[in-house]
Amino acid sequence: MGHPRVDAIAQEARAAVAAARTSAELEQIRVRVLGRQGALTQLLRSLGTLAPEERPQVGAAANDVKREIEALIDARLSAAQHAEREQRRARERLDLTLPGRRPPRGALHPLTRVHDEIVAIFAGLGFSVAEGPEIETDYHNFEALNIPRDHPARDMQDTLYLSESTLLRTHTSPVQIRAMLARKPPVRIIVPGRVFRRDVADQSHSPMFHQVEGLAVDRGITMGDLKGTLELFAREMFGPESRIRFRPSFFPFTEPSAEVDVLCFVCHGQGCRLCKQGGWLEILGSGMVHPRVLKNVGYDPEEVTGWAFGMGIERIAMLKYGIDDLRLFFDNDLRFLRQFA
Amino acid sequence: MKILYGWVRELVDLKLAAADAADRLTNAGVEVASVTALTPAGLAGVVVGEIEAIERELGESHGHRLLLCRVSTGRERFSVVSGAPNTKVGARAAFAPPGATLPGGRRVAAARIRGVESQGMLCSERELGLGEEHEAGLLLLEGDARLGQDLVAHLGLDDHVLEVEVTPNRPDCLSVLGVARELAALTGARLHAPRGKLAEAGEPAARLARVRVEAPDLCHRFTARVIGGVTVGPSPARLQARLRAVGLRPISNIVDVTNYVLWELGHPLHAFDYDTLTDATIVVRRAAKGERFTTLDGQERVLDDSMLVIADPKRAVGLAGVMGGAHTEVTDRTTRVLLESAWFDPVSIRRTSRALGLRTDAAYRFERGADIEALVDASARAAQLIRELAGGAVARGMVDVYPRRRKPVRVRLRMSRVKRVLGVTPAPALARRILAGLGLPARARGAVLDVTVPSFRRDLAMEDDLVEEIIRVWGYGKLPSTLPAGAVDVVKQPATLRQAETVRRALVGAGLAEAITHAFCDPARAALFRALGAAEPLTLKNPLAQDASVLRSHPLEGLLGAVSVNVRRQQPDVALFELCKTYEAARNETGAVEPRWAAIALAASRTARAWHTPDAPADVYDAKGLAEHVLAALGIGGLRPGAGRLGGFEPGCHGALENEAGAIVAEFGEVAAAVRDAYGIDVPVFGAAVALDVAAATPTPPLAYQPLPRFPAVQRDLAFVLGAEQALTAAEIEAALAREAGPLLRQVTLFDVFRFPDGRRSLAWRLTFQAEDRTLTDDEVNRVQERVTQRITAAFGIALRSA
Repeated sequence: MGHPRVDAIAQEARAAVAAARTSAELEQIRVRVLGRQGALTQLLRSLGTLAPEERPQVGAAANDVKREIEALIDARLSAAQHAEREQRRARERLDLTLPGRRPPRGALHPLTRVHDEIVAIFAGLGFSVAEGPEIETDYHNFEALNIPRDHPARDMQDTLYLSESTLLRTHTSPVQIRAMLARKPPVRIIVPGRVFRRDVADQSHSPMFHQVEGLAVDRGITMGDLKGTLELFAREMFGPESRIRFRPSFFPFTEPSAEVDVLCFVCHGQGCRLCKQGGWLEILGSGMVHPRVLKNVGYDPEEVTGWAFGMGIERIAMLKYGIDDLRLFFDNDLRFLRQFA
Repeated sequence: MKILYGWVRELVDLKLAAADAADRLTNAGVEVASVTALTPAGLAGVVVGEIEAIERELGESHGHRLLLCRVSTGRERFSVVSGAPNTKVGARAAFAPPGATLPGGRRVAAARIRGVESQGMLCSERELGLGEEHEAGLLLLEGDARLGQDLVAHLGLDDHVLEVEVTPNRPDCLSVLGVARELAALTGARLHAPRGKLAEAGEPAARLARVRVEAPDLCHRFTARVIGGVTVGPSPARLQARLRAVGLRPISNIVDVTNYVLWELGHPLHAFDYDTLTDATIVVRRAAKGERFTTLDGQERVLDDSMLVIADPKRAVGLAGVMGGAHTEVTDRTTRVLLESAWFDPVSIRRTSRALGLRTDAAYRFERGADIEALVDASARAAQLIRELAGGAVARGMVDVYPRRRKPVRVRLRMSRVKRVLGVTPAPALARRILAGLGLPARARGAVLDVTVPSFRRDLAMEDDLVEEIIRVWGYGKLPSTLPAGAVDVVKQPATLRQAETVRRALVGAGLAEAITHAFCDPARAALFRALGAAEPLTLKNPLAQDASVLRSHPLEGLLGAVSVNVRRQQPDVALFELCKTYEAARNETGAVEPRWAAIALAASRTARAWHTPDAPADVYDAKGLAEHVLAALGIGGLRPGAGRLGGFEPGCHGALENEAGAIVAEFGEVAAAVRDAYGIDVPVFGAAVALDVAAATPTPPLAYQPLPRFPAVQRDLAFVLGAEQALTAAEIEAALAREAGPLLRQVTLFDVFRFPDGRRSLAWRLTFQAEDRTLTDDEVNRVQERVTQRITAAFGIALRSA
């Protein structure tokens, strides 16, 4: 067998490990026996003092014991640590129903959400965003769009003026003019932006609101393309079951012109409160760009044709989210805004 | 405009129900907003009765004499008590026998009044739900009204009102005839003009009246008829009911006829009392500047020389196309009538009507363009109706001043153009049929149609106008669904849009909610925001209200309104942002520039109160931090502190961040108390504004990988104590630290700020040292630390804080 001194150390260590209750005690044993100043280490260090023939035997025995005790301690240690963790948990009594520490959550304005959605849908169809000034000239806002001074069509858009010749744009259509003047066909743009009317704010009117204008001009563009594009838009915006309907209308800058309705997505055309029993919801105005407008920007109406549409972002948001008062968008009540977080 | 469907059906042979006709019209672009039954809900069983006798008086009630009458319905007799002041023997009136129901479903039953039985009731307009009239008494009917006839049928109330919304290009649809014509085109039904033929007699009108048009540019045609021997009185109940049903007020038979014809044929007419006109002469001329004129409504108006008047040789008698004059209107004493039917320049009418604030039915039609040919029919129809209702004789012919006759308008329509615009086309024969139905005769020459445009369609001037007519009638449902062909450019969104998205994402991620506010502001508030020497805000010429009469000139103007709303509505913890514009005068095409901003406003707590978070009020460093956060998201670094330029902040709590070129990219601070007060906000508000255009123009380094450090870093903390009176900033010390520490310094972080009770401040920085090629030794770092400490304390006269 071993060596009496080795056996003594081994015996004592085994007993100590067996008696240890905590991970701390086990660590102490490890230090006492196996540490730098530990009994076994001391013994190994004193091998030189032994008789040469004893040395290999004692050395081997000591190393065996070292491995044995290490294994014993490790085995007990993990069990002890486990038990201690459990004890600690039991003492702590964590109430996991306490609310978590959440980072603050912001909210995009619902109009931004709808804006982003519209922009994304049309980006998928090759339409880039174009922008223009909110303070516009009478020329870009009216004259170039075939709405001469003293035309009753100006009644449709009661205007806020800054001077004789400048005004707050009443629609995003002047950006059509700017975009077409700045480039040659083909043109495929959408124009989101703030617009202004001289309307007192109430449930369904606002002196400021938002529109998105769409414009496609190229050789061979037809009103059928307008219909197909808007059908696709309606399906993306209001769901795959959406249907739209074109109704003739009048806008001075389009000919033919069409008002576009979407089948009421609450009642699917049966008639309900949202669609005022009509089954359809008006969502936008559109038409083929008037040849005079094309001429005004230096395009040849015999060479290119185009269509345009314009819709109110508020209108779409109201329909989509069931909002019944336009003023809510501009009150900015946090209880409203946070619903769109 | 309200149109009676029954009236329409007098002019077109239609089998359609009112609702179906409305659908057809709407789908063809003549929008019918509503269809309402004319009969008041619940009204049933009321008939035409005659008061045969008044049997006795029953005393007074509420100031009215109660009379016991005998009422006959032809077949039966009833004893009825009436308190109406116009109760008289022989009158025919609306009578509700027992069993009839009144509006609201109230059932009429026999009742005892003053001890006698009243078998039913004689009714007023209001009781029948037909109008407001009650005090005047019973709704009286003509003497020849058929006894016992159902009142609803007698008054033509078994009808529907269509509320038609006509677009400004279609004045031809502003009449019963116009709507009938549209329905005829849509259904193929036959259209016929109103029945009746004009009987003329006596002297020719040309000998009774003279017309001189002195402003032929503004009055292209003027006609006059003369009707003599008329008796002015009320119109028949049925006609009155019709006018009321479409929203017109019955006045007298003569005036009612002009309104009736206006509604039926769409042409405005005016009836003058012939005998009030000097020399029986009409002069159509421009008003004199400052000329005074009293219109029918009794208002005196001051005219100018752009306005057209109808005058006699002495004075103006009518405001052409807008309203007649008070001194020449038809009255009870009128026996001769001069009937005007004319055509006026739309622009002139519109200007006059706007300038005087007189929006009349006549002006509404003239400014959209009346029918210069059909005005003759309207005149004849009115003359005939006047003769029928007011008696008298219509003088032969009419005076017709029409110097430059309208030239026929022809438009060429290529079927190939129809296809190019629509993507689809009907066969030429069908196209011709559609146009013919609309009253547009077309001659075919191969695949081209030569279309003649009648005088009532002034909106049809070019080829594409006809393309719309074709698809409108053929049906928009016939349009194919296609997508634009042709190459698609790569979608490239503008930099402003991408920047806005980045800013929104950063701020929403930081827990702020996005606001959108009006661009208008109260000038008194704007003044509080104005920095010394800053430009005045842009002012609207025609604001809706004084408190919304200037445009936003400070990025926080709108947002503070939103803060105010929330604070007042018990939402004190506000963290809002807005991407907005301010508007400044400039010498350019639009007279303005529109700088873009990200505005931020914070009030009350930084974070929602919770069990794990101590209540921490927001302060100016939150506002500054959010501005820095936005700029970091935009990739902008190298910011330097600067002095703010915007107004509206507390002077001692207002700073700015400059880019490396020295331009202000953001300002932040505490909102000035005076500004807060103006918004009624009673808690401190901290704001920041990032100048997005400046940010966009600030160069950002391209993203490039930096190798990760391979050797360990060493950290040292240095704290300095600043004297209470030292106006030294953290930024100054930090810049010096970075300079002095040299190339081994990787990072410098201010981690503690402490103020001693005596006013001295302690600022503590953590310096991180690291070399790229070796592990730094303690000695090396100690030497740097000592050098830095020595230089800083010496340069600023501050002390190292002992541990």
